[in-house]
Amino acid sequence: MTAPSAGTVEMTIRFPYKRSLGPVIGAFMTGLAGQQILGIRNGSEVMCPPLEWDPKTGKELDHGALVEVGPAGTVVSWTWVPKPSAQHPLDKPFALALIRLDGADTALTHAVDAGSIDAMSTGMRVAPRWKAERQGHITDIEAFVPGEDPQGLDDSRPEEPVTMMPYNAEIPYTLPIAVNTARNAVALKEKRLIGLRCPVCSRTYAGERGFCPIDTTALTAEHEVQLPQTGTLTNYTIITPVQYPGQTETEPFARCMILVDDSDLVIGYQPVIDLPVEQVRVGVRVKLVWGDGDIEGWQPTGEPDVDDPDLVNRIY
Amino acid sequence: MSHQPCAVVGVGQTHHKTRRWDVSLGGLVREAATRALEDAQMDWSDIDAVVLGKAPDLFEGVMKPELYLTDALGAHGKPMFRVHTAGSVGATTGIVAAHHVETGRHKRVLAVAYQKQSEGNAQFALGSGRGGSLGAGGAFAPYMRSYIARSGSPLDIGPMVAVKDRLNALKNPYAHLKLTDISLEKVKESPMMWEPVRYLESCPSSDGACAVVLTDEEGGKAAAAAGRAPAWILGTAVRSEPSTFPGRDPVTPQGAFDCADDLYRQAGITNPREQLDCAELYVPFSWYEPMWLEAHRIAEKGRGWKMVESGETALDGDFPVNMSGGVLSSNPIGASGLLRLAEAALQVRGMAGEHQVDGAKVALGQAYGAAAQYFSMWVVASSLDPFGR
Ligand SMILES: [Zn+2]
Repeated sequence: MTAPSAGTVEMTIRFPYKRSLGPVIGAFMTGLAGQQILGIRNGSEVMCPPLEWDPKTGKELDHGALVEVGPAGTVVSWTWVPKPSAQHPLDKPFALALIRLDGADTALTHAVDAGSIDAMSTGMRVAPRWKAERQGHITDIEAFVPGEDPQGLDDSRPEEPVTMMPYNAEIPYTLPIAVNTARNAVALKEKRLIGLRCPVCSRTYAGERGFCPIDTTALTAEHEVQLPQTGTLTNYTIITPVQYPGQTETEPFARCMILVDDSDLVIGYQPVIDLPVEQVRVGVRVKLVWGDGDIEGWQPTGEPDVDDPDLVNRIY
Repeated sequence: MSHQPCAVVGVGQTHHKTRRWDVSLGGLVREAATRALEDAQMDWSDIDAVVLGKAPDLFEGVMKPELYLTDALGAHGKPMFRVHTAGSVGATTGIVAAHHVETGRHKRVLAVAYQKQSEGNAQFALGSGRGGSLGAGGAFAPYMRSYIARSGSPLDIGPMVAVKDRLNALKNPYAHLKLTDISLEKVKESPMMWEPVRYLESCPSSDGACAVVLTDEEGGKAAAAAGRAPAWILGTAVRSEPSTFPGRDPVTPQGAFDCADDLYRQAGITNPREQLDCAELYVPFSWYEPMWLEAHRIAEKGRGWKMVESGETALDGDFPVNMSGGVLSSNPIGASGLLRLAEAALQVRGMAGEHQVDGAKVALGQAYGAAAQYFSMWVVASSLDPFGR
């Protein structure tokens, strides 16, 4: 069952990955940087792009048996891309084609810059148009072009073998916003802390929860309860931040579990305000501090600490 | 629940390291799988089906790796399955592979699990790409604080586990961390990363893979007759529970108890502390050793730390735990669960080399994942009926 949606939100995850290429793809990429296209011998066949293993039997191929193929080849199949996206290799209409390079028995997928769909045909001859700035990447060939003659040939050869490939992943998402999430967001904007009390087991959940996981009861507006904006710190950790692309923290920071007053709801991994990391401890009485439409954190109230040996076990 | 016997007849793993940039992703899984096939004295063509496990795709940014790795794993024209149960995935992968044999559907199944952490960043991935990521250490730290408080354990127990596992790793040629100068002082002096967990009480980030070849009763008996000891699977169990609900106790999760109870019932184990000879448990942070000893009924509640303190869980102790050096010494996340199962199998086959437990006949392998909410375990033995039932 899909929770009813209250609209969508767009988000994008980006991260720079690395790829270790291994002996065969590494040699292939090194070849491209030097305007050479390599295939690998597999019995009586030559495979381009080359693989480390025979795709049919799984047998390891002789990684030294790399042979130069092309540079020209024959289009064995193709499709026209009339409206290229940002992820496509060319910013004008082009063909994505399977190209069997001369001397190879398998086909390489690449772009053909033919100008128009009318210039494309199965069986047509194409040759690579090389980029001037090459890095050992499949895009070192900008595209294939109709004809027998490679374009952009120069004397530049790589100084070092190519062993790694940077890969910048970018994944855009369209996330549906669940009705409870939307209603909770409205409450947060109005500086109200709401919960959802399960009609079956009476547990109280955070206001955006869709279901009680214990009895699979759907939680809806009728189960909404207003919660006090005070609570007790039950458990915590002090995190020494590890740096990674997108990391926003530089100094050690606390994340705390807060048991909300008059309920059984623990809100997990919360920031604290006006409580230095060396003073964070179990039992501190806290009150909610509002940020812009969300909880900014929890601040000590100044009341005496709660002394209860079981408090530390209230992680959830 | 009746099913056909299943045996582990091949185990292989990579040399786990911070970076295995000498091989491609395919080359990494291939290295482990080749060793497992050599151990089983089989060829790629002998394998009927392949089961692949790894933690989230976001770790390396390779989507659908089960398709990408088909040629590296000789899976062309064969059933290929992908398993995903967070950090426990490696163990679940081995168990899913075992089920294929136990049901009689396939005769010889290859289970492979891997992670190449150096190609991405786990902390980024665990934080869904946002800043201020807790990391696994930050998420689990409150659980460990709760354990320490409720058990009354001395604070040295965590560091003691950290030292023991690193000493064991010195005897394992495949282990990632080789800390020859490890000591209690060194651990206690290391930086506090996720209070109360210190740097040297935490697992490393590793590149690595593990592979296991499973076969039916006929295959297991043939291996035994040829002088290659099989590890017979006495039981497998998998459980999960919701990550958050008011009153959930992640230190002694119900799923952990239920998983162990189901497993012991299948294996005919009524007293795990006595009937198991050793255990390889998923301990990415030191305090998880006493926690799992209790949550899997090997130690009584509140007494897991005493097994550590008394030296019972050391390699030469009465109940060795994490003979391989464990997750604290090598953590290619997706592979870590299968490495636990594989180590249990190596022990009962008598093939664990320098970290062999003398006379080990019955061993437990265990992994957990996500917010301590997925559990995967198996018990293996040197014979199909070790307790003379
Ligand atoms: Zn309920």
